[in-house]
Amino acid sequence: MSVVLATYNIKGGVGKTSTAVNLAHLAALGGAPTLLWDLDPQGGATYLLRVKPKVRGGARKILAGRTDVAGSIKGTDQPGLDLLPADFSYRHMDLALDDFKRPGRRLARVLGPLREEYEHVFLDCPPSISLVSESVFGAADWLLVPVIPATLSSRTLAQLDGVLDGRPPLLPFFSMVDRRRRVHRDVIDQLRSERSDLLETVVPLSIEVERMGLQREPLAAFARRGRAAAAYEALWSEILGRLAA
Amino acid sequence: MTVELLAPEGATLESAAATIAGALSVRERAGRAHDRSYYDTFDGLLHARDAVLVHEGGELVLVRDGVERARAPLRRPRRPFLVAELAPGALRDALASMAGVRALLPLARIHSRERAVDLLDDERKTVVRGRLSAPATTPDGNGVAGRLRPRLSLEGVRGYDGELEALQRRLLSELGFAAAECSLLDEAVRARGGEPGGVSAKVGVALGRGEPAAAAVAAVLSRLLEVIETNLRGTLEDVDSEFLHDLRVAVRRTRAVLRELRGVFEPGALARFRAEFRWVQAVTGPARDLDVHLLEFDDYRALVAPRFRSDLDPVAELLAERRRRALRDLRRALRGRVFGDLLEDWRGYLARLPGSSSAQGPDGARPIDELVAERVARVYRRMVRDGRAIGPGSPPEALHELRKQGKELRYLFELFAGPLFGEQTVTPLVRTLKSLQDVLGRHQDRAVQAAMLASLTAELARRPGGPAALVATGALAQQLLDDEHGAREEFTARFRPFAAKATRQLVREALR
Repeated sequence: MSVVLATYNIKGGVGKTSTAVNLAHLAALGGAPTLLWDLDPQGGATYLLRVKPKVRGGARKILAGRTDVAGSIKGTDQPGLDLLPADFSYRHMDLALDDFKRPGRRLARVLGPLREEYEHVFLDCPPSISLVSESVFGAADWLLVPVIPATLSSRTLAQLDGVLDGRPPLLPFFSMVDRRRRVHRDVIDQLRSERSDLLETVVPLSIEVERMGLQREPLAAFARRGRAAAAYEALWSEILGRLAA
Repeated sequence: MTVELLAPEGATLESAAATIAGALSVRERAGRAHDRSYYDTFDGLLHARDAVLVHEGGELVLVRDGVERARAPLRRPRRPFLVAELAPGALRDALASMAGVRALLPLARIHSRERAVDLLDDERKTVVRGRLSAPATTPDGNGVAGRLRPRLSLEGVRGYDGELEALQRRLLSELGFAAAECSLLDEAVRARGGEPGGVSAKVGVALGRGEPAAAAVAAVLSRLLEVIETNLRGTLEDVDSEFLHDLRVAVRRTRAVLRELRGVFEPGALARFRAEFRWVQAVTGPARDLDVHLLEFDDYRALVAPRFRSDLDPVAELLAERRRRALRDLRRALRGRVFGDLLEDWRGYLARLPGSSSAQGPDGARPIDELVAERVARVYRRMVRDGRAIGPGSPPEALHELRKQGKELRYLFELFAGPLFGEQTVTPLVRTLKSLQDVLGRHQDRAVQAAMLASLTAELARRPGGPAALVATGALAQQLLDDEHGAREEFTARFRPFAAKATRQLVREALR
């Protein structure tokens, strides 16, 4: 029975996709069969893993359970890491979900049979608050929330607390951090004093992460010794620790 | 899904990689070198179950249906080894259920260089994982090194089945690759002059109705001679106890044919070969009997009360000593002139038998099915008559005698009646017979075992732990005799279906 981790933040550009791809890759490297579902119609994770952004029947068929979901899964270049690709039709996933009686449970239903096969399932979510996100909240065991330590971050987290009411639990962490900037350091200190659920590991702003878009590979595949890769490894270790607790 | 293909004829690892790279978008990576040794029993028990036992990198691994089942650290075995010699664990348990008492023999040692050749799509993503390997068998004691045709193993990445199929088609139709007819191991075994799947002791000679008896009998006996010869070396080298067993069964079957179908053979030849095969049976008997005692020793221990069990140790030691002596005698006999001449002369005689009327007896030209039907009917009727005569007062020898007849009948069924009249027809008869033979066998074996124990007492008494061993032996002998008695009680119930009207009818009709 697997653990479902969703990378989520209503804001775009905070590092959801690079987090999902890098952590899923590390999970598979560690020997655990892992699935990454790219729910973002932008298909960032799909692009990074060199898979074509196409799912037969699109969002509607997948949600209805009429497409054989397992049949749409693609193996990545990393043995042990599979991808359920994004599809441009996912831009209408909200509408598709609305057709169902309990949209908030729909993704969980679709994921059900897959959970037997994989030890970890990562969901890379689009930046929004919508039926899709609600359905993600209903399917995920944990929410990974990358946060850029700028002034409105604490508001984002507080808003999320309000929506979720504890379930699923949050695993917020600082992403794209530039330690040279005073405001980043201050916001980190501030948030740490306000919240106890923030992860210790901090992921730095890094040119290597940006290069992922050119390399089209996870960090550990081409820049294993770099700072960013080390940070993601530490992040994954810390998350595993939280999962086990 | 994995597919295995052969590289083009005459290709090397490098040329095959170049062929693929020249035509397709691939990523090559240097691969590893492998040094693998493979093992199976003489009769291919693992092969028959789609299993492979392979040693690599300090570990022995059991693979079944392509999936790894168990592994254990072990230095590479260079010689045959028994399952019982392995350390306790999952590997030993899995092997024991497949190989039993048979030794695992080195089949082949294959050294291979590998190279990864992955097929890429237009996004330069890996869609098929390929591994080219250039295998060579390495000499292992008495083998010859030889290069085998390079192989390409293809594994489709999930979700890219179409790409795998297209690649396969292209490789087969345009680039000179070929489908692999057999596994690499089978190819290696064949290259070393062996038989993939091992050497069987089954007879399975096809016979046709109307065939002259001399030809049919010669065919069956020749096959039995082959079984004797192929099991001889393993017997002499004491590789495992089944070699001697299979050899003796083949001799016993030979003797049964000589006896039951004696009219096929010229009397002088018949007398000579009957006498000599009887001698072979006799010289190999003690070693086999002791093998059986030793194999069953744990079962013997289980028959007595727990406090006697370790007291039986001196008995096991004594049996082992006797077995060593019996093996020496057996080796002397089977390596000697008389046995060598017997095999050669017998082979020559069997070659002449079908074509030469002087080698034949009065029944030589008769149709085999007629002859067999007659014999089966006669042996069966005699068994029914003799079995009916057995009452509570009959001596044990009467049951021993019935068992002997049962063996002959069984061989007639297995060697002739089955192939001639159809296995379907014969199977129900064999089943009823077997049920009777089991109880007769138990009856005689227990008596023999008890007698064997009695024969040990004088020597046991003189050994350390002797007195205690004698007590335990007494307890064991009593259990064995009780079981003999129990078997005797079951006899009537097992004999009834054998002699029943329905069975008599079946015998009559089946052999028409």
